[in-house]
Amino acid sequence: MVEIIYMNIESSPSFLLFIFFGTVTVITALSVIFQKNPVVSAVSLVFTFFALAGIYGIMGALFIATMQVLVYAGAIMVLVVFVLMLLSQRAETLSRYRKHPIRLVLLSVFVFGFFFLLYSALTTGVPHSDQMGKGYELSEYSFPIQGTGTVNAKGNVGVVGASTYLDYLLPFEMISILLLVAVLGAVILAKKKATEVEQTKDNVL
Amino acid sequence: MNPIVNGIPISFILGLAGILFSIGVLGVLIRRNIVIIFMSVELILNSVNLVFVTFSKALSHISGETVVFFVMAIAAAEAAVGLALVIAIFRHKKSTNVDELQSMRW
Repeated sequence: MVEIIYMNIESSPSFLLFIFFGTVTVITALSVIFQKNPVVSAVSLVFTFFALAGIYGIMGALFIATMQVLVYAGAIMVLVVFVLMLLSQRAETLSRYRKHPIRLVLLSVFVFGFFFLLYSALTTGVPHSDQMGKGYELSEYSFPIQGTGTVNAKGNVGVVGASTYLDYLLPFEMISILLLVAVLGAVILAKKKATEVEQTKDNVL
Repeated sequence: MNPIVNGIPISFILGLAGILFSIGVLGVLIRRNIVIIFMSVELILNSVNLVFVTFSKALSHISGETVVFFVMAIAAAEAAVGLALVIAIFRHKKSTNVDELQSMRW
């Protein structure tokens, strides 16, 4: 383990950056679930998202890094903080598991065992996929279209875009419909009923 | 499969993703505030995104990054519906403590 770290630090400086961002990710993620005040948790989550965007950037997935900052650290966190402020959350006691040490230990054993299973499954169970396929060279993409030859795209954003609109057109359209339905559902769920409005005139909610 | 992505062994990145997933699961299990549980679910989704990007780079196949895009869209939809549900529940129960949500009807 230590030799691997030394070997990689010598060969590439991006490994140091990965160590930094990974540490920040883990610390802030722990802070999310162990802070008593929900607003502090939300701020920690923003840092987690930014650190993950950094890791995506190191790995070369620049489009995903940009989307991470825009969608997660921007849109979703604004929504979460808005709801937190609207509900005026107070700090709470952590959990009833704190009062039962045996339950806490069992839960920790479950979570750690779960982690090691996940880790071994991920590192050993993935089949090798070596065949030259679409987007094999990550900075280039070629998609055969009958009659017109091939479509070529270059650059990370271009490759992801080409893959989205050529390989995954149907899922993309379905995502659009899903988002529309989700927005309508959110409006209907959060809307007051007509009779309720009269009763709760001075209430904010 | 290339086991090193830009100088980073993928076992390290996958380990980070596993830690992040476990933290998310722990958060769902031990917290009682429904908004914090929601944030833990976001952590879980992010760890999955990390695995997708890692294998996209390690296998030199672009599909992983495209799927991450879809996961983000679904997370946004989930955020909208989930937080609207939180507001609807809070309006009836005056609480966001999941221990007090024991009946499906009110």
